[in-house]
Amino acid sequence: MTVQASSSGLEAAFLENRERLLRFLVARGAGEEAEDVLQEIWLKISERRTGPVASPLSYLFRTADLLLIDRYRARRQAERRDRAWSEVNSGATLGVSDAPLADRQLASRQLALLVKKLLDDLEPPRVGEIFRRHRIDGLTQRQIAAEFGVSLSTVESDLRRAYKALADLREQLDEV
Amino acid sequence: MQHDDPIREQAAQWAVRTGDPGFADWDAFTDWLEQDPAHAEAYDRVAAAVADAADAERDVVLPANDAGPAARPLVRRWIPTAVAAVLLIVVTFGLWWGQGGVQTYETAPGETRLIALEDGSTIDLAADSRIALDPDKPRLAKLEHGRALFTIVHDEGDPFVLDVGADRVVDAGTVFEVRLGAEELAVGVSEGLVIFNPAGQNVRVQPGQLLESPLGSKNVTMHDIPLEQVGEWREGRITFERASIAELAAELTSMSGVTFRAAPASGRNEVSGSVLIDPIRADPASLGPLLGVSVRKAGDGWLIEAR
Repeated sequence: MTVQASSSGLEAAFLENRERLLRFLVARGAGEEAEDVLQEIWLKISERRTGPVASPLSYLFRTADLLLIDRYRARRQAERRDRAWSEVNSGATLGVSDAPLADRQLASRQLALLVKKLLDDLEPPRVGEIFRRHRIDGLTQRQIAAEFGVSLSTVESDLRRAYKALADLREQLDEV
Repeated sequence: MQHDDPIREQAAQWAVRTGDPGFADWDAFTDWLEQDPAHAEAYDRVAAAVADAADAERDVVLPANDAGPAARPLVRRWIPTAVAAVLLIVVTFGLWWGQGGVQTYETAPGETRLIALEDGSTIDLAADSRIALDPDKPRLAKLEHGRALFTIVHDEGDPFVLDVGADRVVDAGTVFEVRLGAEELAVGVSEGLVIFNPAGQNVRVQPGQLLESPLGSKNVTMHDIPLEQVGEWREGRITFERASIAELAAELTSMSGVTFRAAPASGRNEVSGSVLIDPIRADPASLGPLLGVSVRKAGDGWLIEAR
């Protein structure tokens, strides 16, 4: 679909596909939050915080998906923070009440270094480069295939490898 | 780790597909999710890990030798010094009056301290380090052990001079770090210029360079280092590049105040990586997955072994 829909086109698509989106949110594990998320999407599109989009329905699904990923990340982050708090309060570093904030900043710095190392070390080096082109520079997988002179399925399988390695890293860090 | 878990494999596959702006098959994705509640959980895990990593990667500063396919804007995240100071500076009054009015400042393992000089210059003394200052000669200092970061107010007519063992470092307007280890001396510069042994080798060390010289030798080697590595211990971080496990253990013991030892057979094995001191102090075993070594409790300390 190449027709450009306006925000009101998005609203129309939302109203038409409300049940479908709800079904997606439930399947996606939103549980009791499904209606909340639906409302958040509606607010986002009705406040016209979006420009015209090529495919309204895909846009709505993507928005829903990203909102849930964000919520999941926020939950995990809060868990890590709680854990950091209890470590601090266990007496290892008495008298440094500001530690959790600094801890978080240091932890994100640590993650940055570990991620960089992981991406740099993936073999062949193309895998890390493709990940960065896609997730940092925002190129589509088709554009990347053309740029690197490989097939679309190679791009997909490279990304899949990078994703799994990053998921491993995250799990490893959360375990310790 | 669940490398062969088919759900995880599928979740990664879907995360790759939905992550592309052109993805449209949301119905098929919904069908897969509806097959098993574990699918959504696995998908969340992969998608969140990837999003965390992409955010982190956006913040990281690339070293100069990175040959990425295209230049991209880099955001450097600085930890406000005040916050780092609250976390790290556990000041001890390691002040001794030596002969002739020389003051010696010393930190124990796990402690750091900031020394402010009258002209506005500062010296950040790292853990397990010792420096001597003479109030009568405010532009002269002697690093006797360990490492320190110098932020020096430059004075063309009165350069700051640092003696390190038998060597001498002269600033020419600068922020630089000096480390005096058991076997070698290192000088890293992040701003300005430093001159190493003006009367001897007379080597200029520029920002982004690290000079290393084995003690008791006239040899000097130069390396490139990322600027943010200079004085990074102030942010509670330390980077090892092809360090022996013996060096790793010694450095970590100094920085954290927790005793680490190298297993006898692994002392010479080399490791590389960057670690945060604070989490290591809280949980020494977490060093293992970070640097790919094995760490276990042994007596009153921790034993590091090559894996």
